Amino acid sequence: MTSKKSTENGSGDVRLSGIGKTYGSFTAVHPLDLTVPEGSFFALLGASGCGKTTTLRMIAGLEEPSCGTVSLGDQDVTNLPPYKRPVNTVFQSYALFPHLDIFENVAFGLRRRGIKGVKKQVEEMLELVQLGEQARKKPHQLSGGQQQRVAVARALINHPKVLLLDEPLGALDLKLRRQMQLELKRIQTEVGITFIHVTHDQEEAMTMADTVAVMNAGRVEQLGSPADLYENPHTTFVANFLGTSNLIEAEVDSVSGEEIVLKAGDVKLVLPEARCGAPTRTGGKILVGVRPEKITLTHADDAGEIPAGRNRITGTVAATSFIGVSTQYVIDSSVCPEFEVYVQNIDRDTRLVPGAEVVLHWNPAHTFGLDAAQSLLAGTAGSAGVEEEAAV
Amino acid sequence: MSTLAEAEAPPPLAPAPAVPTAKPPRKRGRWTPYLLLAPGLVWLLVFFAMPMVYQASTSVQTGSLEDGYRVTWHFATYWDALSEYYPQFLRSVLYAGSATVLCLLLGYPLAYLIAFRAGRWRNLILILVIAPFFTSFLIRTLAWKTILSDGGPVVGALDSLHVLDVTSWLGLTAGDRVLATPLAVVCGLTYNFLPFMILPLYTSLERIDGRLHEAAGDLYAKPFTTFRKVTFPLSMPGVVSGTLLTFIPASGDYVNAELLGSTNTAMIGNVIQSQFLRILDYPTAAALSFILMAAILVMVTVYIRKSGTEDLV
Repeated sequence: MTSKKSTENGSGDVRLSGIGKTYGSFTAVHPLDLTVPEGSFFALLGASGCGKTTTLRMIAGLEEPSCGTVSLGDQDVTNLPPYKRPVNTVFQSYALFPHLDIFENVAFGLRRRGIKGVKKQVEEMLELVQLGEQARKKPHQLSGGQQQRVAVARALINHPKVLLLDEPLGALDLKLRRQMQLELKRIQTEVGITFIHVTHDQEEAMTMADTVAVMNAGRVEQLGSPADLYENPHTTFVANFLGTSNLIEAEVDSVSGEEIVLKAGDVKLVLPEARCGAPTRTGGKILVGVRPEKITLTHADDAGEIPAGRNRITGTVAATSFIGVSTQYVIDSSVCPEFEVYVQNIDRDTRLVPGAEVVLHWNPAHTFGLDAAQSLLAGTAGSAGVEEEAAV
Repeated sequence: MSTLAEAEAPPPLAPAPAVPTAKPPRKRGRWTPYLLLAPGLVWLLVFFAMPMVYQASTSVQTGSLEDGYRVTWHFATYWDALSEYYPQFLRSVLYAGSATVLCLLLGYPLAYLIAFRAGRWRNLILILVIAPFFTSFLIRTLAWKTILSDGGPVVGALDSLHVLDVTSWLGLTAGDRVLATPLAVVCGLTYNFLPFMILPLYTSLERIDGRLHEAAGDLYAKPFTTFRKVTFPLSMPGVVSGTLLTFIPASGDYVNAELLGSTNTAMIGNVIQSQFLRILDYPTAAALSFILMAAILVMVTVYIRKSGTEDLV
């Protein structure tokens, strides 16, 4: 479990201390500590059923934690009902009030707090989300993307300390989702409110968030910036859930200075010690990982041209698929049955067709090491708990 | 259906000399909608439209049982009936209205409970709501006669709590009796029509997305405000259909007033029934029926307009 040190001056930080949730004998969220700094865009990323939505709902007050506390700045809000928390939520299916028009939906929170003369504020907010023209329409008369913007406006107009977003883009088609990702990021930068975003889409989390917490089975697996998570995954779940990783089981041959030399069959691989998250002792097992785009593919005939000092593996091309910007190869090798390699389509080597003998090689600095005691397949599309388009 | 078939027909190309254009090609399924409608239409024609016409003609007839009745377009029957029996009309509206309000007050919390809080007991409670229908309407009303009987436990309890003093003072009961008073009739009506209120209320409450309650709470609405601003407005279709399903049959009912009331609590249904079956003054009975029908139609139309259901989702 990773926890982040709170920024000392942050009076508006969201602080979860030992917060957990159990339903009978099922633990939805294991007690976790998490601090979301004021003004940040924070994403809780994970497959359906990993506890990310439950965590969000505990912050909103819609779910009562079984243990632990929730604080907003200096205020402990654990026992406050939702309507007393300075927090607003954008719900997964928007939950717009169908009997009220767009104007009244957006004005709802202000009216409940007894604020007079809401017209100007509501109109400004509708302008911010580019819905000024639609004020007198009913929610069902708007498109999905417009409804989504109403949901954001309805929450933001209250100037909450924290805005919670529960899979807000899940119901939109791909193109609109991309557009809304940028839009939400723009709004967040503009208003400077803390956003906590729950999603199962790793690309969405990486595009939008400053900090991502990857959750799995009720625990935070790893927390960090998107680049940090991608380049230095600490677990196989993170390595596989964020993008794709090639994982090879290897044995520690020797440790020399800052480098670990490993053996996988008859292949020798080098791994920088700093990038190894597992204990190393000679003869011990380690999972060696490398991202598909870090690898260069050379035809076996040109093997002599490969510079020295690179990790190299030989294999045969099993399959290729051309996807425009890059070509994806699946390589059969003795150490890893399905090695994935992405090659930018700059100068395509026409000899690289299925059956061709190839050498894979990469800079050892791009190698990372993981504890071999974990499942190689955790977090891959086929493994339990990971489904595309999670059900509610 | 037929427009669809026409749209699918290929556009006319070259003139086809062999086939005269006057004969359109046979369209499949053209008669299907009418065939499907036919049984219902025939039923309504025989058992609804024809009796209506017959009653309408009866209401403008004059004559006597011995000499027979003839249509004389005697519309004065309407005026006579209305001027003689308007107290019963008003009483019907009053009793049915009170029963409807009571049904709403009793039924709403129950429907709310079934829809949102009952959990696994939901189906059981729904069955209990419908269960009284397994027994005859008449038997159930007769049972109320026993429940409210003089000197019975209910009356005794109400008496010792001095409730009867208050209701007597309000004119709802008479002395230490509950039976044969307006209260008894309204209680009977409320009881008999309660399921007609609960079921539509339940249906419309059950359709409300629970996340709307969460959203309202998230937007600073206290639980009661959530009810007032979100739940209740969204349940309006149920409130409207429930009140209609209660009020309309209650205002024409005569069984409750007959069994639980007295001559002082006679409703318009009792008048119509006795005109038809005892006094055998068919024109007056028919005229009263039409007046009742028209009155209900007007009230219902105004009510639906006022409650603005067409704006609701």
